[in-house]
Amino acid sequence: MERYSAIRRLISSLEDEPVVANLGPTSIELWNAGHREQNFYTNGAMGLCSSIALGVALSVNSKVISLDGDGSLLMNLGSLSTIGRARPKNLIIVVWDNEQWGQTGHQPSHTAKGTDLESVARGCGIVKTATVDDLEELSEVFVRALHEDGPWLIVAKIEETGYLPLKVFQPDLTLYRFRRSVGSVDDE
Amino acid sequence: MAWYDDIVECLAVQEISLVTYVPDSSLDRVVTLLEKSSWCEVVHATREEEAVGIAAGAYAAGRRASTFMQSSGLGNCIGALTSLCIPYRIPLPLFMNLRGDLDEEIPVQVLMGRSARPILDTIGIPNFVVDKTDEVLPKTLGALKLCYASRNPVAICLTRQLHGGKTLGTV
Repeated sequence: MERYSAIRRLISSLEDEPVVANLGPTSIELWNAGHREQNFYTNGAMGLCSSIALGVALSVNSKVISLDGDGSLLMNLGSLSTIGRARPKNLIIVVWDNEQWGQTGHQPSHTAKGTDLESVARGCGIVKTATVDDLEELSEVFVRALHEDGPWLIVAKIEETGYLPLKVFQPDLTLYRFRRSVGSVDDE
Repeated sequence: MAWYDDIVECLAVQEISLVTYVPDSSLDRVVTLLEKSSWCEVVHATREEEAVGIAAGAYAAGRRASTFMQSSGLGNCIGALTSLCIPYRIPLPLFMNLRGDLDEEIPVQVLMGRSARPILDTIGIPNFVVDKTDEVLPKTLGALKLCYASRNPVAICLTRQLHGGKTLGTV
């Protein structure tokens, strides 16, 4: 399964639900797959994608999707513990797990060497979990997560392929658009 | 009113309805009151960086949030402040128990406590020391006003002179 085609498939199931995207290729691919004001593109703050999504989930009624990555989530495993404690019903975390740090030279990540993020999530009290390595399977569990109470954590095993051209996001504009659409706040 | 009542009042005035928090024995007095309130939710985080991320997400969704920590935790969240809050223009009020000043007893608290404000200055976060009870209301309200006007984090640094330090245990 490739992340870009998987992102395109997932967002085709969405209406207005906010999406928080991990830094690097995930944000760039989300932009190209279908930019919308409800997308929060992170540029830095590696490890905080699902923490930001938790903050959003605690503040809105709709489902909130975090598109995280294995290297990033490994940097902040405590966030799963916090999510397991806060238990927001509306949070769906999809972890793109390529078992490597793709942007820094393809070094194997800890998920290639023994860490099972689904088990970690379950150990933290997140009971709605899945590990999938096929697009149809992912699509099916994601649609289920959109309709069933969570929090959900879905580990999507992906193959690292090519990258889209670099896109630099303007952080303040991302925030402005997101707050206008998700928070109904106009900062202008 | 006690210093912690004043802080609760300032949060209420500014409609801050989410506090993310890594436990601290002094700020716990504020948190205890907030947890009994009907208008403010408290999220317990495992680490300060995560606490900042959660608060930033809430603000992005249109809700005002604040993060509470001890000055030793500032080192754990510099990345979140410099690569999330500041460039995205997220106004995050930080309430910090400032260690390393008069009457500090714990050797390992000294360096980070004394470095916290210079670090905040370096990364462009206005910071205000509150060490007297009658300063809590005006300084906190003023700092919160500045925070939202500038859409930048600010830090309100509460000292042992204000809150009396730790009363339980010795850590």
